[in-house]
Amino acid sequence: MFKKILFATSATEASDHAARVAFNMAGTLGATLNIFHVLGVPTRGFSQVVLDVKTKEEVAVDGEYISWVEEEIKNYYANQLANCANCSIKASVGVPHREILRQAREIEPDLIVLGGTTGSEEDSVYKASTGSTLQRVAKASPCPILAVNRPAASFWGGLSNIVFGTDFSKASDKAFEFAFKMATSLNGELHIFHALDITPKNMGMSMPQDEIDHKIREAYKMIRSKYISKMKDFKNYSMNVWEGIPYVEIVKYTREKQADLIIMAHNSRKLDADGPKIGSNMEQVIMRANCPVISVNR
Amino acid sequence: MPEGIFCNKKPIETQEELTALLGDTSGTQYYKEMKELDIDTKLLWTTIQNTCKSRIRTWLEICAHCGMCADSCFLYLVNDRDPKQVPAYKIQSTLGEIVKRKGNVDNEFMRMAMETAWAKCTCCNRCGIYCPHGIDVGIMFGYLRGLLYQQGFVPWELKIGAGMHRVYRAQMDVSEEEFVETFQWMVEENEEEYPGLTVPVDVENADIMYTVNAREVKHYPEDLAEAAILFHAAGENWTITSKGWEQTSLAMFAGDWAACKMQVENVYAAMERLKPKRMVGTECGHAHRATVVEGPYWAGRQDGRPPVECIHYIEWLAEALREGKLKIDPERRIKVPVTLQDSCNYVRNHGLREVAREILSYIVEPGYYREMSPNREHNFCCGGGGGFNGIGLFRPQRNKGLITKRDQILATGAELVIAPCHNCWDAIRDLEEEFEIGIKWSFLKPLVVSMLELPDHMKPEE
Repeated sequence: MFKKILFATSATEASDHAARVAFNMAGTLGATLNIFHVLGVPTRGFSQVVLDVKTKEEVAVDGEYISWVEEEIKNYYANQLANCANCSIKASVGVPHREILRQAREIEPDLIVLGGTTGSEEDSVYKASTGSTLQRVAKASPCPILAVNRPAASFWGGLSNIVFGTDFSKASDKAFEFAFKMATSLNGELHIFHALDITPKNMGMSMPQDEIDHKIREAYKMIRSKYISKMKDFKNYSMNVWEGIPYVEIVKYTREKQADLIIMAHNSRKLDADGPKIGSNMEQVIMRANCPVISVNR
Repeated sequence: MPEGIFCNKKPIETQEELTALLGDTSGTQYYKEMKELDIDTKLLWTTIQNTCKSRIRTWLEICAHCGMCADSCFLYLVNDRDPKQVPAYKIQSTLGEIVKRKGNVDNEFMRMAMETAWAKCTCCNRCGIYCPHGIDVGIMFGYLRGLLYQQGFVPWELKIGAGMHRVYRAQMDVSEEEFVETFQWMVEENEEEYPGLTVPVDVENADIMYTVNAREVKHYPEDLAEAAILFHAAGENWTITSKGWEQTSLAMFAGDWAACKMQVENVYAAMERLKPKRMVGTECGHAHRATVVEGPYWAGRQDGRPPVECIHYIEWLAEALREGKLKIDPERRIKVPVTLQDSCNYVRNHGLREVAREILSYIVEPGYYREMSPNREHNFCCGGGGGFNGIGLFRPQRNKGLITKRDQILATGAELVIAPCHNCWDAIRDLEEEFEIGIKWSFLKPLVVSMLELPDHMKPEE
């Protein structure tokens, strides 16, 4: 399923949960793991100087400095690396999301595991472009990306009990293909879930129950025609439609099913103009989920 | 000691030399060697005799030392009106002295002249419009930089920058292949959202040949994507060129005259090869000055013009909006207090003072635009022009130089500063890092892309 995983990391505590998942996945699935770190962002105009995101110092990056940072990463992950058969480390400079995407373009991974950011994304070094690193990578990534926000989300370790959350969009179709492939190849369970959004919209009017019931029936029909019909002999699945605030329902549902992975489509093409605010459903789910979340874009 | 290993009179010619110089982190050894560097006074005087023509000689002669230029200089203002920061003093005590002494100057003098030429003047040319005689100290400092470069007295980063142009014909180590590849990557990344998006490469007789700043390729390739999206949305017949795509010239900042010529001739060759109707350059100030304003003279073009008509990005953008090629969704116009940074290099020095304002009239909700004071051709330099932004040795001076712009921006109450110039954009970015005044800053492209009203056939499926 995954032969090559790109793990983009800050090599700090902020990425520890993601690291746990990344190393675990690489080990379980026998994948190669490329540990990638963007050590600094360009500063000082046209010069070669970068601002080291960790030390906040301006450094003139040369081969020696990069090797030194790579060595630091090696030490940071020494325990995990001891048990990782196929790991490589690369440090680079640039704007984080862009360099992660550049690396992805170069090595063509099947999955990007995204660690946390060093420091706050409110820092002016990140403010030059719109949206968070997560948003920007998710928007343009050629492959699915996996994000882990809470420490608790990295403890399950398994990958066999999957919740697929759908909004029936085209991108969700792609996410389904991916989720189904994953469930079959790992011989796991697949829970197909749609959350009917009943957040009061029109001048605070809430949806009448008849309409909710009707929409739920429609959603089940959609699930059957769009997904179940394509699953052939695969029996290990369930489907549910709940009403509520979508991201809350997905998180609740995942807990209920004791799932160890959520797969969703990242639909939003828009980046939050106000900087790295958590906006979309997807990001809310990542923030709150008790397990890793994979975002599929295409 | 005569020539140092890194600091010497020989320009960088090869990749190996570049790597070696880059390896001297922060130019530690370079500046140490500079203290010992000999001056070839004969060469200096011969060069002056051959190149210091009547305009500069006259300016040096007729300066009445009236001091009218003092208040025009932002570096004079932020440095507590230090008399040594008066433009007339700065040039008389450096270039004026070298000429007076017929090139007989010593190492200490040259290092003082280097600091003056790169840390006390950004070649913004503002003093030139306040001098009763029209003496432009910025132009003279540009000339002095050439003399200093020839003798090896140039800031480390600019020796590297000029070397980059000599080796890569670009200000950073970006090859021709990497340029085209990156542009194609950006198109691939956006073609789903903008069906039909392409990047035509080396197409002859196109209406527009687009040139860029290598930093966009290296660090901010979104800029390339945005350029492609806007040309595409406007229905332009455009192309990029695989050779001669770099419009900027750090060689100009460095005073490396020979590299200036090499660089601009490379761009002109592309124009002659592809024969576009016009060249449009990216949102960069000094690139415009180098390729459009000064370049023709470096290349020895008799008519003083580039081979084809060259316009700045803001000129193209204003035209596309004016003619309705690009449509703005009024709902998405800017609705926060916003101001504009006029770039010295194409506003004061090339007269484009109303163009960006026309663009803002289309993209800013009425009532939200705030002019800086002063503005247009009277605007102050961003604080980091002329190479100042990139020089580590003069970082403290540069940071102080940002204060004028900071206060100008604060006085407008703007939350967003539009800076259609790489240097200004950098300086304002650094200014936020240094002083944290809570502003945002942007080029025009991303703003316009975010508020485009696309025709139906250009909208993504779904």
